[in-house]
Amino acid sequence: MSRRYDSRTTIFSPEGRLYQVEYALEAISHAGTALGILAKDGIVLAAERKVTSKLLEQDTSAEKLNMICAVAGMTADANILINYARQAAQRYLLTFNEDIPCEQLVRRLCDLKQGYTQHGGLRPFGVSFIYAGYDPQRQFQLYQSNPSGNYGGWKATSVGANNASAQSLLKQDYKEDCDLKEACGMAVKVLSKTMDSTKLSSEKIEFATVGKTKDGKIYHHLWGAEEITALLKEHDLAKGEDAEMG
Amino acid sequence: MKLQDTRITPSKIGLIDTHVCLAFAGLNADARILIDKARLEAQSHRLTVEDPVTIEYITKYVAGVQQRYTQSGGVRPFGISTLIVGFDKGDKVPRLYQTEPSGIYSAWKANAIGRSSKTVREFLERNHKDGMDREETIKLTVKSLLEVVQTGAKNIEIAIMAPGKAMEMLPVDEIESYVKNIEVEKQEEAAKKKTRTPGTGTTTILTRGPGEGSES
Amino acid sequence: MLEAREFPPIFLCPVCKAPQLITSKYASTFLFIYQPPKSCQEVLLGITGKDFTLIAASKAAMRGATILKASDDKTRQLNKHTLMAFSGEAGDTVQFAEYIQANAQLYSMRNEADLSPSAMANFVRRELASSLRSRKPYMVNLLLGGVDPITDKPSLHWLDYLAALAPVPYAAHGYAQYYCLSILDKHHQPDIDLERGLELLRLCTDELKRRLPIDFKGVLVKVVTKDGIREIDYDDSKQVQSA
Repeated sequence: MSRRYDSRTTIFSPEGRLYQVEYALEAISHAGTALGILAKDGIVLAAERKVTSKLLEQDTSAEKLNMICAVAGMTADANILINYARQAAQRYLLTFNEDIPCEQLVRRLCDLKQGYTQHGGLRPFGVSFIYAGYDPQRQFQLYQSNPSGNYGGWKATSVGANNASAQSLLKQDYKEDCDLKEACGMAVKVLSKTMDSTKLSSEKIEFATVGKTKDGKIYHHLWGAEEITALLKEHDLAKGEDAEMG
Repeated sequence: MKLQDTRITPSKIGLIDTHVCLAFAGLNADARILIDKARLEAQSHRLTVEDPVTIEYITKYVAGVQQRYTQSGGVRPFGISTLIVGFDKGDKVPRLYQTEPSGIYSAWKANAIGRSSKTVREFLERNHKDGMDREETIKLTVKSLLEVVQTGAKNIEIAIMAPGKAMEMLPVDEIESYVKNIEVEKQEEAAKKKTRTPGTGTTTILTRGPGEGSES
Repeated sequence: MLEAREFPPIFLCPVCKAPQLITSKYASTFLFIYQPPKSCQEVLLGITGKDFTLIAASKAAMRGATILKASDDKTRQLNKHTLMAFSGEAGDTVQFAEYIQANAQLYSMRNEADLSPSAMANFVRRELASSLRSRKPYMVNLLLGGVDPITDKPSLHWLDYLAALAPVPYAAHGYAQYYCLSILDKHHQPDIDLERGLELLRLCTDELKRRLPIDFKGVLVKVVTKDGIREIDYDDSKQVQSA
């Protein structure tokens, strides 16, 4: 039945669904988990690094001056989108001599994603993003987007494999007004519970934070192996020889 | 939905221009594109003829775009219905239009789109009266939404337009008090009234009156 | 009188450096008559204070030696807290200002947030710069006054038709520069209140009336604060005796 409606992305099924978009979502649900948590003084992004999978890789990538994002899904697609986002951000900077507001950057990207679901002959992008950023108007912001071009603002969210269980863990543990340090702790805890392997190590996860320094400067920080190991140790999640990593 | 950040999550009610408000049901991403086109047209109209668009004009434009996507090759239609409300410049007559993915548009006194819209429309058909004031209209709006929205005030957004004024989003606590009042009323009538099985999710309602209300 | 040539040479106005091509054609030769460009005869003034930006623009709409109108508004509101004043080639000015205004409003509608005054100034500069390098550039000089919606800081941006942009505490365009900048150099302080700002403006307009050999029909004054933009009743009736 579905064959008639899924060979081209531009056709609705009789139930009003877009199969290609749903397949893309399916592809993402096999990618490593990535999650983001909004704290009152910053944002943490954490992601599982899947080294084994050939088709579906997962990584975080630092992006642009005022935002970073975590990616779940097809890395090749993500690179195209991130490149586009960087261009959009620079174009905005060139025109207005100001950093692009977070929501606008997310929207640009999602408008492009939407275009690929509506215009013919193209498949949708097979990636979900979690974005973390800061702008003076709305302070720290956390967004999530998916292949359909939908996006929303979140206090804590996750994408990729096991995102349903990650989401319910987040829902359980999330506290309003938590600070960045608590958020980091929560992130590793959730990740340790949702990941397939019981052992956590700096090899298997990636960490990035957005925060504010004491003098009010915004910083973006992609964590090094040592820092991740230290964090894991602090929360007693590093196991055996993995703890020596870095 | 507790983790969703309502502060920055895009709303399903948006302004096309200061005097035109649009609510949609369907694919969010599609709606964004369509609203963007409408906003561009509204400003371009201002620039060329120095007058803001009339509600009918912008409805016709939105419907026109939707129609074009049903007929041209290589694209799929927009998966959204919209309700467009507002007041023409210097005019006190409230306008409410609906557009559909096919490109059809129509004018209404009260209407609903989206999931369970039929239930709501039937409810409106039974309860809508001509010449309602602002309070009555808001109350009817909330009441009809409660027919299908389970979770109450948190999941309802209401926008109100009045002639010559900026759009006003009803604060959550006010919606809550409407919800409470209605629930109390319902309980009083409970003995007689058969309760409908409520569905969840999103439906858009707009009713005509001095104030315009809408949607969840 | 200047020599007749096959192609008109480009004269630059000594005030605004705008190319002046006032030509009349007699039997395939050109006759050049220097005439001060209109944009220099128009008065634009801007003064910032601790929580406001004042913009004043002359009310005369001129064409050649004629005043067409004595209640011209040479300003456009771009969004809630940014005001643009313009002078220059008739037609270009309003066309450009309304084009910018439409784009500013489109931005506000699309993003549910207004552009900050400095972002706006950079946007206008870019538009002017690309226009300058096109076949028919806009000949427009601008002042952009605003108050930042987030920090509530007032700002003033000076732009000329060559797309030069400078954020300044006070500014003027045209001949008015000669008379007003020196007054403001002496008296302006960054933390003045609106009352003092209007006093400074009065000093400036009095001096213009005293020295400037042009009847610019008084000025229209608008003030931008964090609450928005409003027009200020500015009494222009006073006679000022020349020295």
